[in-house]
Amino acid sequence: MARDEGRNEKEELLKGTLDMLILQTLTLQSMHGYAIAQHIERLSGDVLTVEQGSLYPALERLQKKGWVTSKWGPSPTGRRARYYTLTPAGRRQLGAEITSFDRVLAAIQRILERA
Amino acid sequence: MSLLDGLRHRLRVFVQQRSYDREIDEELRFHLSLEAMQQQHAGRGILSPQDARDRARRRFGNPTYHKEETRHMSGLDFVDMARQDVRFALRTLRRTPGFTAVAILTLALGIGANTAIFSAVDAMLLRQLPYREPDRLMLVSLTVAARHGEPAHDNDWSYLKANAFRDAQRDYTDLALSSGESVTLRLGQATREHAEVVDEHYLPTLGIHPFLGRNFLSDENLPNGKRSVLVSYAFWQGRLNADPTVLGRTLDIEGAPYTVIGVMPTGFRGLTGQGDFWMTIGARRPYMFEPNEAWDHEFTMVARLATGISARRARSDAALLGTRVNYAFPSDGTPGWGATARPLDGARVDPIVRRSLLVLLGAVGFVLLVACANLANLFLVRASTRQREIAVRLAIGASRRRLVRQLLTESVVLSTLGAVASVGVAWWGAHLLSTLSPERALGPHRLAGLGAVNFSTIRLDWRGLAFAGTVAVMTGLLFGLVPALQATRPSLTDALKEGSAEPPVRGGLFRRLTTRNCLVVLELALALVLLAGSGVMIRSFAKLTGVDPGFDARRVLTLRMNSPAHGNATDSLPALYQSLLASLRALPGVESVALGDCPPLAGGCNSTVIWLGGRAKEITGKEPQIGVHWVTPDWFKVMRVPLFAGRVFTDADGRGARKALLVNATAARRLWPNESPIGKIVGIGMGGFDTAYVVGVVGDVRFHTIDSVPAFDAYVSYYQAPRPSAIVYLRTVADPTTLARPARSLIGDLVPAAPVYDVRTLASRVDDASAQAQFSSVLLALFAASALVLAAVGVYGVVAFGVKQRTREIGIRVALGAEQSEVLRLIVRQGVRLALTGVGLGLLAAFAATRALGALLFDVAPSDPLTFGIVAALLGLAALTASWIPARRAARLDPSTALRD
Repeated sequence: MARDEGRNEKEELLKGTLDMLILQTLTLQSMHGYAIAQHIERLSGDVLTVEQGSLYPALERLQKKGWVTSKWGPSPTGRRARYYTLTPAGRRQLGAEITSFDRVLAAIQRILERA
Repeated sequence: MSLLDGLRHRLRVFVQQRSYDREIDEELRFHLSLEAMQQQHAGRGILSPQDARDRARRRFGNPTYHKEETRHMSGLDFVDMARQDVRFALRTLRRTPGFTAVAILTLALGIGANTAIFSAVDAMLLRQLPYREPDRLMLVSLTVAARHGEPAHDNDWSYLKANAFRDAQRDYTDLALSSGESVTLRLGQATREHAEVVDEHYLPTLGIHPFLGRNFLSDENLPNGKRSVLVSYAFWQGRLNADPTVLGRTLDIEGAPYTVIGVMPTGFRGLTGQGDFWMTIGARRPYMFEPNEAWDHEFTMVARLATGISARRARSDAALLGTRVNYAFPSDGTPGWGATARPLDGARVDPIVRRSLLVLLGAVGFVLLVACANLANLFLVRASTRQREIAVRLAIGASRRRLVRQLLTESVVLSTLGAVASVGVAWWGAHLLSTLSPERALGPHRLAGLGAVNFSTIRLDWRGLAFAGTVAVMTGLLFGLVPALQATRPSLTDALKEGSAEPPVRGGLFRRLTTRNCLVVLELALALVLLAGSGVMIRSFAKLTGVDPGFDARRVLTLRMNSPAHGNATDSLPALYQSLLASLRALPGVESVALGDCPPLAGGCNSTVIWLGGRAKEITGKEPQIGVHWVTPDWFKVMRVPLFAGRVFTDADGRGARKALLVNATAARRLWPNESPIGKIVGIGMGGFDTAYVVGVVGDVRFHTIDSVPAFDAYVSYYQAPRPSAIVYLRTVADPTTLARPARSLIGDLVPAAPVYDVRTLASRVDDASAQAQFSSVLLALFAASALVLAAVGVYGVVAFGVKQRTREIGIRVALGAEQSEVLRLIVRQGVRLALTGVGLGLLAAFAATRALGALLFDVAPSDPLTFGIVAALLGLAALTASWIPARRAARLDPSTALRD
């Protein structure tokens, strides 16, 4: 698989956080896949990269769980794009994920501080 | 609703597979093009478009890989695989056309028969009654306690008792009365039609609204009130040409004009299931309002439960109220009467019919199971021939799950094909069942006025098809699973490693043979249960047809007729009947002719109380019940009912003469033990026979049902107590049916206004009495025969396969000098072991299973030892024959060829 040169300076996403980030991104508005990837990278100050290709399987998974729905619509460039929207269930799921993520983060920090 | 969104998504992917697949492509392309634009933008125009696209591609990763991942997530690859599997399965099946044809045929018959019987069960037991909130409808009946050898039974209501009940009850919002009758309609020529005599509560209780017009008003149900009629949709369409101005038109029914006030909705035929007219009790039976008609029980009562009242509560209330109502009518305040209420849905089909349907459904399911066991065995044999293919695929890394899935797809595809082919069988079967006339199939056990759901409503519809589809998939999994698991056992890779053309003899094969043996034993056991069940049913049926009904039904034609006499006009009836009988007797081919009012074996005739010594002032309830039958003097001659003492009627027993009665032998023996009844004075509660003399004793005739013992019966003469309705009995010299036309036209000429209907032989009436038993036993026998054949084929298959596997061993044995008979014994022993195990298990199961038949049997124990012995022997013999054929082949084996191969 071809890799980008700048890749090594960036951090790969922690396992399992991609779903959470996608859901968080979609709280703003409906977006297509590319915009979601862009948004995550930009907001992380280009520290995090989304492996772009793995975005779509993740979106498919989120749809299957009913947390996200999708609809085709015109993009600003005039082409058709699939727009993803957060469902109420997705919003609840996001809340749950953030809570558990915070707990894990706090735990890790505690360990790091004591070590 | 996350679940719903998710399901919707999955459904969309599944339904629009192709377009969804294209959309994934489009989405990825869109992403790549935006990324390329981004790269070009970042490169400030230095990058060529091609470079930008390449960079975008690199950043994205392998699009094919990601697409596959996405497809995998969406489940599209699963659909692809399934499609591949199906295509592969079809190819494989096409390669073995003989096997495929046999399998599909077996399945088509099995699934088709199941679907047909299911359609019957669905129409008669499962489908909701076509009324509003049918589960709140109750059938309320009067009940009569057991006495004088007559069992406890439900009874209809008289109008006054029903009204008393209505006034006192608090459990129902609505109570309806109805009674079926046949009426003469003159629309062109006179015809007999089915009608229901109802009150104004009938439609509201059932929750039915007329399609046109209105329901009866309460003043239309007053005695001799306005004559109004509601007609069925079918009648309006067919006979009234869907006349839009039908409201207000009059119809001539029973010689009186009835104004059409409405048309019923499509398909509504009333509680009897055959009604074309609805008229009020007040118009049709005004006499029911008279105080002294409180014990003329004619009406079915259906009531709608009020909210919050349970069926159980209604039942206990009815019992309480029923007793009170009966005490309120002292003229017949007979103890032991009460009332009961039960859900209409449960009461709609006679328990005997219900039970036989369920037994049939179980039996036909058994047949399908036997067929499944056979197919599973066929698949096992096939799998053993495909071992190398499967082993190779396992060896090159196919997962076992994948292979099992593929083999299962094959069996499900096969069973689906079978299901498609079964639609024809099912349609034909359902059609066959529906053509059984309802009266015939439901037999004399039918509840009065409750034929609403019957055989005529059976048809193959989407419910039946859905059932067939479900059965097909289950069947496919059932007979496919064991072979699929067996064939892909990991130990099978040994077959490849050893590089041997023959499968290993120990280990795998031994275990597989055991599986196959188990399947055959199961088949044999199931077949035995079916054989035993159908055996006892057939014996019961034989006993039923062997019962002497008390008359000779051969060469007798019966015609029903209604003379147009009303009220006092009955005075002229004796003369009319006498001349009618004289004319009929003069017809060529007629031996003798008579009239009677109630056909034998019809499930019930008029009955009343009998007072020894003449009519008492009051009914105490201790009086015996006696059947009353109207006949003309020659009836006993026509029916060949023997005269035991005294004399039969003569023409002299007329209006002016003293009242004469004949009694049957049972009544004579039990009412006057050890003395002659001739000359005794009695009174009966019908026809004005308060004081009558017994003039003769005749043989017992089974009027009720073929399987009930004769009770007390009395005969009165038409000439002494005229009745307008009669059945003409013609004993003929040759074939009675040839007289149907001349007799019919003769009656038509003589009594032009009288419709003649229900023309058929007496023998057919006798047949009808056992139609239900015949229907069940014929079908059961058919199922059992199929199971027997399938089981024999199964035994043959297993033994033949065993011979094939042991060819080399047998060759060596023969080469070493084994006698033919030894080889024969060796092979047959396998079949015998299977047969013994199967029959043994089957006998145990049959003892338990045939108990369900108990209520359907007449004079036969459910586990009749003779029947069990015969069917066990039959099955054993079939198994022995099936193993004999391959055994003989083995015994004739030429050792040199056997060893060379």
